[in-house]
Amino acid sequence: MTLSGRAAIAGIGATEFSKESGRSELRLAAEACLAAIHDAGLTPADVDGLVTFTADASAEIAVQRELGIDALRFFSRVDYGGGAACGTVAHAAMAVATGQADVVVCYRAFNERSGHRFGQAGASSRADSTGLEFSWHLPFGFATPAAWVAMQARRYMHDHGATSEDFGRVAVAMRRHAATNPKAWFHGRPITLEEHQASRWIVDPLHLLDCCQESDGGVALVVTTPERARDLPHPPAVIRAAAQGTGPGQMMMFGYYTGDLAALPAMNTVGTRLWKQSGLTPGDVHVGILYDHFTPFVLMQLEELGFCGRGEAPGYVADGGIELDGRLPVNPHGGQLGEAYIHGMNGIAEAVRQLRGTAANQVADVEHVLVTAGTGVPTSGLVLGTG
Amino acid sequence: MHDELTALAERLAALGDRPGVPCPDPVNAAMIRNWTQALGDTGDWSELAPPAMIQVWSMPGLGAARAGSIADEPLRLLDGAGFTGVVATNCDQTYDRYVRVGEALRSTMRFGGVTGPKKTAMGEGYFVTWFQSWWDEDGARVAEMLFRVLKFRPRGAPRRPSGGRYPLRPAIGPDTRFFWDGVDAGELRVQKCADCAALRHPPGPMCPECHSVERDHVVAAGRGTVHSYVVHHHPPVPGRTPPYVVAVVELDEGVRIVGNVNGCDPADVHVGMPVRLVFERMDDDLVLPQWTPLDAPDPEPPAPRPEGLDIALTPTFVIATALATRDHTPVHHDPALARAQGSQDIFLNILTTIGLVQRYALEREPGAELASIAVRLGAPAYAGDTLTLTGGPAADGTYTVRGLVSLGDHVTATVRFKEPHP
Repeated sequence: MTLSGRAAIAGIGATEFSKESGRSELRLAAEACLAAIHDAGLTPADVDGLVTFTADASAEIAVQRELGIDALRFFSRVDYGGGAACGTVAHAAMAVATGQADVVVCYRAFNERSGHRFGQAGASSRADSTGLEFSWHLPFGFATPAAWVAMQARRYMHDHGATSEDFGRVAVAMRRHAATNPKAWFHGRPITLEEHQASRWIVDPLHLLDCCQESDGGVALVVTTPERARDLPHPPAVIRAAAQGTGPGQMMMFGYYTGDLAALPAMNTVGTRLWKQSGLTPGDVHVGILYDHFTPFVLMQLEELGFCGRGEAPGYVADGGIELDGRLPVNPHGGQLGEAYIHGMNGIAEAVRQLRGTAANQVADVEHVLVTAGTGVPTSGLVLGTG
Repeated sequence: MHDELTALAERLAALGDRPGVPCPDPVNAAMIRNWTQALGDTGDWSELAPPAMIQVWSMPGLGAARAGSIADEPLRLLDGAGFTGVVATNCDQTYDRYVRVGEALRSTMRFGGVTGPKKTAMGEGYFVTWFQSWWDEDGARVAEMLFRVLKFRPRGAPRRPSGGRYPLRPAIGPDTRFFWDGVDAGELRVQKCADCAALRHPPGPMCPECHSVERDHVVAAGRGTVHSYVVHHHPPVPGRTPPYVVAVVELDEGVRIVGNVNGCDPADVHVGMPVRLVFERMDDDLVLPQWTPLDAPDPEPPAPRPEGLDIALTPTFVIATALATRDHTPVHHDPALARAQGSQDIFLNILTTIGLVQRYALEREPGAELASIAVRLGAPAYAGDTLTLTGGPAADGTYTVRGLVSLGDHVTATVRFKEPHP
């Protein structure tokens, strides 16, 4: 028995994406959940499970109270920042597949731009296992996600001859996609490679335009059984595979101590399981939703997931491979670089739209979409299909 | 504003000596004893008052209405024009003669002038100078003081001083303490399994190879190569000045470690660059293991603290001396209020600083008679710090005194004696 085909996403909902929502994170969560439940043709009374990120500020019971749900039978949180995104759906799918719950809503909502910003340097650490991990890095002023990713990016450049332009082509493609997505923050605002190169250093070798934007907003997803989903208004996005994964010597974002820095072994763990569970291969995927908090990790994901060989991603992208008409259209909504940074949850919603045929930048005849979550951290992934 | 300020300064300077603050009490033994006990001055002041006490006699005291200063108007004008920062820079006292117990004094004030605008380390600003003089019952002047402040336009948001404590501190647990103890001892320790001898960094409680919990360590030779690196530019990181290099260094022993590469231009760092271990002291308590190019010269060893008069700036000392100089400004006795105003803690007042300069000079030149003390003020002397006074005769016949705290020079003073100094 596997999880494949045992659960589906029946509803998606979101708030607007902004730089200052002007309301509480709990309110954003409740609004996104309610929108997703209504999109699924259900009411809060039908919901008996809630899953979110460990990092979310709004507890499952707080969202339960706002939605007026009488009782939850399943609640769970997934850790490790943006690596949790697809993991929330994996947990929800396991719950509905095993009958632990009937309808589970996964949500993530924050004021990441107007409130607590992840990109700012933190100074404190406690002596728990995570605090000790950070203590090998923070004292050296090595204190931001951009810096932690840049360390791997530099080694990738060294090992494979990649350049800053190779990273820039990812940003240009994402902004080109966002330019024609009315929901995207950067709607109508594409960039050129020259603008990418001229943008200021954040942490060399990363320019400003290698780093995704920061956003306020919330996204929610309704997971139920495929049988029930087929009775609801939208065609279901069936979960063909769901996986979480770590790599050897895994740390939060400091994969520097064993093996190859120019690699994302946790994503390899996830990818291997996704292909096995779904019975698909990279060639069967029509759209890729690749977590794009920083451009270099889009390249490395293409390699880890088997879309190309080691060191070949720069060529794959330069050849137009990730464009809407490319071999693997990546992030037609514009990704987190272009649409919004909602910790990867907006990407899962885009995957559902591509399968429904309702996306702003709709790719033709989409049957399978691969979705990944935050990389560099313990991560997760999904393969969604029509049906 | 500049023209208005200049005109105002000329008008005030033309007024000459104006009646200043009254001296509430005659020169008296009780206040002298409070002062000498608080400052640790063991001189014989049974008949004459310590000259550096001169300003104490005209201090208004707690709760007294603050008398207007001759400099209030220009200071307000500068405030209004955005020069809101203020820091005292000079305090020069000239002693015509020592005053005797029992004498009644009065004081006057005179405006000096305004110079500026000048670019300073604090920001653009104006120096404002005024004078206070003390007179005896016969109308003869006994002392004069020059006081100068810098009114400056603060650059950006007011900086919260970190108080010399490096803010990015490691959390240390039972499994990692050996590493930081090693750093304190000048060693880079790499965990070694006591059973299977596998090396491991970062360390942990159980050997992932053989699952032994018996741990040992080796001391790394301190040589390695840059495996990867970044140059941090943005955002600002507390305690750090960008751009700076962070590298993953692969040690010759085979494990990797993260640290800064110091001692070279960030543009010169490259993957594969040989580096060697150096220890960087971040503050009194924290040392970090760092890296520098193999061929870079050793960093200058920190200068040893000079031998001199060490004064432990306990809260008691700071508060007792403030009160003994009749200075009731809250930043000298109320830690919460001092911190609310952006200071790290309560700090030594200027009247005490000048008194300590006197104590230092007269302890080393017993019997000499002071003619003047000219003080340049620097870093604040916070409670919890140590003030080390050093100095001696200078080539020009004066006597120089320097007061060092952990933040740098608190005071540099030039002392002159009445008789030509031997």
